[in-house]
Amino acid sequence: MRLSDGEIGRAYEVKRIGNIGRAARRLEALGMGGHAVIRVLHKKAGGDMIIRARGTRWAIGRRIAEGIFVREAGK
Amino acid sequence: MGHRQAHRGGDFCPGGGKVKSGGQENGGRQKKGGRQENSGGQMNGGEIRVAFAGNPNCGKTTLFNACTGASLKVANWPGVTVERAEGETEAAGRRLKLIDLPGIYSLNSYSMDEKLSRRCILEEEIDVIVNVADASLLERNLYLTMQLLELGRPVVLALNLMDVVQKRGMRIDLPRLSRMLGGIPVIPVSARKRTGLAELMEAVVRCGERKDAGTAVLRPKFRQKGGEGTDAGRYAYIEKIVGECVLGGEGRELLTEKIDGILTHRIWGIAAFLAIMACVFALTFTVGDFLKGYFEQALSWLTGQARGLLERTGTADWLVSLIVDGIIAGVGGVLAFLPNISILFLAMAFLEDSGYMARVAYVMDSIMAHAGLSGKAFLPMLLGFGCTVPAVMAARALESEEDRKRTILLIPFMSCSAKLPVYLLFAEMFFPDAALAAAYSLYLLGLGTALALARIWSRVFPAKEEHALLIELPDYRLPDAGTAAAYVWNKVKDYLDKAGTTIFMASVILWFVLHYGPAGTAADMSQSFGAAAGRLLAPLLAPAGLGTWRIALALISGLSAKEVVISSFSVLFGVENVSSAAGRSALAGALANAGFGPANACALLVFCLFYTPCVAALAAIHRETHSWRQTLGMAIFQLLFAWIAAAAVFQAGSRLF
Repeated sequence: MRLSDGEIGRAYEVKRIGNIGRAARRLEALGMGGHAVIRVLHKKAGGDMIIRARGTRWAIGRRIAEGIFVREAGK
Repeated sequence: MGHRQAHRGGDFCPGGGKVKSGGQENGGRQKKGGRQENSGGQMNGGEIRVAFAGNPNCGKTTLFNACTGASLKVANWPGVTVERAEGETEAAGRRLKLIDLPGIYSLNSYSMDEKLSRRCILEEEIDVIVNVADASLLERNLYLTMQLLELGRPVVLALNLMDVVQKRGMRIDLPRLSRMLGGIPVIPVSARKRTGLAELMEAVVRCGERKDAGTAVLRPKFRQKGGEGTDAGRYAYIEKIVGECVLGGEGRELLTEKIDGILTHRIWGIAAFLAIMACVFALTFTVGDFLKGYFEQALSWLTGQARGLLERTGTADWLVSLIVDGIIAGVGGVLAFLPNISILFLAMAFLEDSGYMARVAYVMDSIMAHAGLSGKAFLPMLLGFGCTVPAVMAARALESEEDRKRTILLIPFMSCSAKLPVYLLFAEMFFPDAALAAAYSLYLLGLGTALALARIWSRVFPAKEEHALLIELPDYRLPDAGTAAAYVWNKVKDYLDKAGTTIFMASVILWFVLHYGPAGTAADMSQSFGAAAGRLLAPLLAPAGLGTWRIALALISGLSAKEVVISSFSVLFGVENVSSAAGRSALAGALANAGFGPANACALLVFCLFYTPCVAALAAIHRETHSWRQTLGMAIFQLLFAWIAAAAVFQAGSRLF
């Protein structure tokens, strides 16, 4: 599943980053690459999200949220 | 620490960082290839060059200010610092040259400000890198530390915000952290509370001197343990460090989550933003006007005293007129708005230091997406409510060059603080019962127009690549009084500088062009050079209801700085203390005699909102875009747009009023 499909309050483990251009490299450097755990804190109808990864809170746009492939953490 | 000094700025040169006047950058010491020569001999004549590198919003500039005594702008959102600054201090008998850099998350930089930091770290001759890290967010901050250590450069890790760490009940095993980072010095500091600074500088000197004496550069040990060079390897090792060195500290930030629940709400978020901005402007108008009353009294007293003194001392009539009718009326008329400007910047300082700014990017992202931009591009636009020049520079934090240039072109449509006196004066003169609403509607009109134009632009020239939002959201915090005071004082100083230079000169020049004409001294202003110039342009402005030579001349003067429109009205209509009730009444009467009514006032306000930005803003746009075509194209477009909008408003308004 994509992170954009994630629900508020749930944690997800990153499987891989999709083809989202330079943002992919940036996400990896920010510690949101494979096996990172991301918790969804807030979500807007347009697809923008507030997430927490490695202790830091981030606002990400729809295109980035759709480019992060995840599975529910702990599964 | 002894002698301290600092400065930010200098011209930014895309080819090589900051250029100092009178010589090549860094005295010609810059080398390509990323490594400096380590002769093991004399080091820069005793000076140690220290770069402050770290993640955005980790407190580098606060630390830099604390170490150098500077008062560079700091705030609680990522991307505040977009240019390097240099300062000096002394420690352990050595002179230290400190370089503050824009924040970077990694050495794989994207935006213009990040590239500047990367270039400084990799290409300049830096003796010691002070890696400033937010100790409360160690897991993310250590990634850059890893990369810096991989360079093999001397690094001192400054763990900032240790007071926050303690408040959260966290504990960091510093000796263990140092050991796990290959033995580099790890110094706990609190830049805000100014603790640990002496220890940090002493560690920097020790680190620099060891290199100076030919000591082997400290090398990290994680290479063998975590796998060198891959993000996975770095983060695996970081997780191990955090697991072993950081103890406790869960269950924090509940307040931030609760506030975010309201301020970033998917429906109420935008309404909350508009309400906050309305509060900012309401404070600016009400509290500012209250304080302005005292300024007006002082100005009135000064005018009377100056006139009396000059007349008693037998000063020539023309000089009395120049000083009283030209300088005091012009400069004083603008200075009277200082309380309003101060309140506006105080409110902006609170917004910026509270942590709300980054949320605005999130809240506005969906609207900005219609304009082909990410929500992050809204931040420079918001700063444009203060001043166009720093706002244009703030666009450097945008990842895409295309987005940066687009955003720069939108910023002049925002109502900068220089337009505020014009709004206040004319709104209070012609719409006394709805002055606040009239002025706020101009702010919204500028914002709405910028977004609409960006949307049209994105349709005509689609972006090559869509750049999605990615911005760190810091914890909310109570704004720091000292930070806010420094912020406001810097802006007040700028305003006073402008009043003493640009507005002073504009007032003097205007007085001369109004008192001299083709026949020499002009007994009547209407025979002056100024009147002749105004008459040339007046017919063009007639469809917008601004077709009198005085108004045309005031608008031309406003190209030097928008406040000059006010000082010009004072001088042109011979009104002293124009912002006072008596001054407004006198000016309104004079304007009414010239057939200038509410419809004309609306057109004037709209024209002032949209027309060509001041010279300083144009210079900043050129400096950032490196394009005269873009800069002049923007100036001409805004002039035409202002004319069309003002004409439309006047034609519609003259049927209503």
